[in-house]
Amino acid sequence: MNYQWLTLWGYIPEFIKASWLTLQVTGLAFALAVVLGLLAALASLSPLAVLRFIARGYVEIIRNTPVLLQIFIVFFSLPSAGISLDAYWAGVIALGLNVGAYLSEVFRAGMQSVPRGQLEAAAILGLEPAQIFVEVVLPQAARAVYPAIVNYLIQLLLGTSLLSAIALPELTGTATVINSRTLLYIQTFTVTLVAYLVLSNALSWLAGQLGARVFHPPLIVRAPRRLGGLRLHRANRA
Amino acid sequence: MSIDLLRTSLSILLQGLVATLLLSVAAIVGGTLIGLLAAVLRSFGPWGSAHVAKLYTELFRGTPVLITLMFIYFGVSYFGYAIDVFAAGAIGLSVYQGAYIAEVFRSGIESVPRGQWEVSQILGLTKAQTFTFVVLPQTGKIVLPPLVGQYLSLIKDTSIVSMIGMSELMHGGQAIVDRIGKPVEIYGLVALIYFAVCFPLSQWVRHHDRRRLT
Repeated sequence: MNYQWLTLWGYIPEFIKASWLTLQVTGLAFALAVVLGLLAALASLSPLAVLRFIARGYVEIIRNTPVLLQIFIVFFSLPSAGISLDAYWAGVIALGLNVGAYLSEVFRAGMQSVPRGQLEAAAILGLEPAQIFVEVVLPQAARAVYPAIVNYLIQLLLGTSLLSAIALPELTGTATVINSRTLLYIQTFTVTLVAYLVLSNALSWLAGQLGARVFHPPLIVRAPRRLGGLRLHRANRA
Repeated sequence: MSIDLLRTSLSILLQGLVATLLLSVAAIVGGTLIGLLAAVLRSFGPWGSAHVAKLYTELFRGTPVLITLMFIYFGVSYFGYAIDVFAAGAIGLSVYQGAYIAEVFRSGIESVPRGQWEVSQILGLTKAQTFTFVVLPQTGKIVLPPLVGQYLSLIKDTSIVSMIGMSELMHGGQAIVDRIGKPVEIYGLVALIYFAVCFPLSQWVRHHDRRRLT
């Protein structure tokens, strides 16, 4: 058993390289998703019916089909339309499109969470529509949606595992290659599992730190509350 | 695409759809039971079990479902047993989605005001009675829309089971494309079928889910 784990030790550099690729794809796809999400959210709130229709269509199509299928369509079907992408960019675009649709819903809810009265007050105070958006709506909306956005970032990170289906050597793809070379299923997948856990927890920790520093007052992501037994007990004793 | 080709493809895809739906139902039942158990253990369980339940949800919410599926499918064979790919898929999806469903149930349980627990205790109800007769009925209403939303993502996740070789809808589409090409038409058809299944559910969730930011 020890000998088998040692075999895997030699593959650590490959796991690290694969983790870096996973992070790259996650970062690029997330940037694309934020841009698409903002555009779609603005379009869905626009007075033009055409824009609203396009935004709604985009969101519904993406949300009601599996992400794996979307990856396949971008990678295998787009070449028929004359657009050939390698696995890396196909992955970035497919995942960006996917998460963008979910983010647009979040952004829209965030923008709508700012009370209308504030917009009217800002308009009466003489602010331009652009100023109102940047200085009144955005800071409040950003704060409201931040935890949900971080959630989708983590989902995106985990979603990159599906890119192994189009032979991108990210973490899962690398794991399956190492797996077929060594046949050490349990060991290989354990290392991969730990790598994902480290990456996802590191990302959400970083996001938490960022949230506590960027927002005023600091945004503390709610710590899990204990319920039932313990609390009730304490309340009774008091 | 000729009519004959379309008819053959459709019959293959519809067979795949049946497998997808069977797998979804199996995983929905399994995931709901596991999720409810984990949520109850985490909120009311004795000391150790609450930590185990927390570890469970944290573990699966931080790793991809594909790894869970591969772990189960290949891991079992590593120990010298054979596992049916449907069983591996159903178990993997149940265990994975159970972690998310547990969080849905937990937020439902937490949304019942604590005062009600205190009142019930004063009225002489035991903890189990309070949970069954006071908390659970109220939780049901709050929890149903996000729960259906989770089922929706479970149904879409069944496509990932094609990657360990189960022949369901996604796999059917791949098989046809491998044979005859035409990726635009075939994957478009597959997308249409998934859409037809998911759209009514997602509209229901959109209509009933009053939480705004999730």
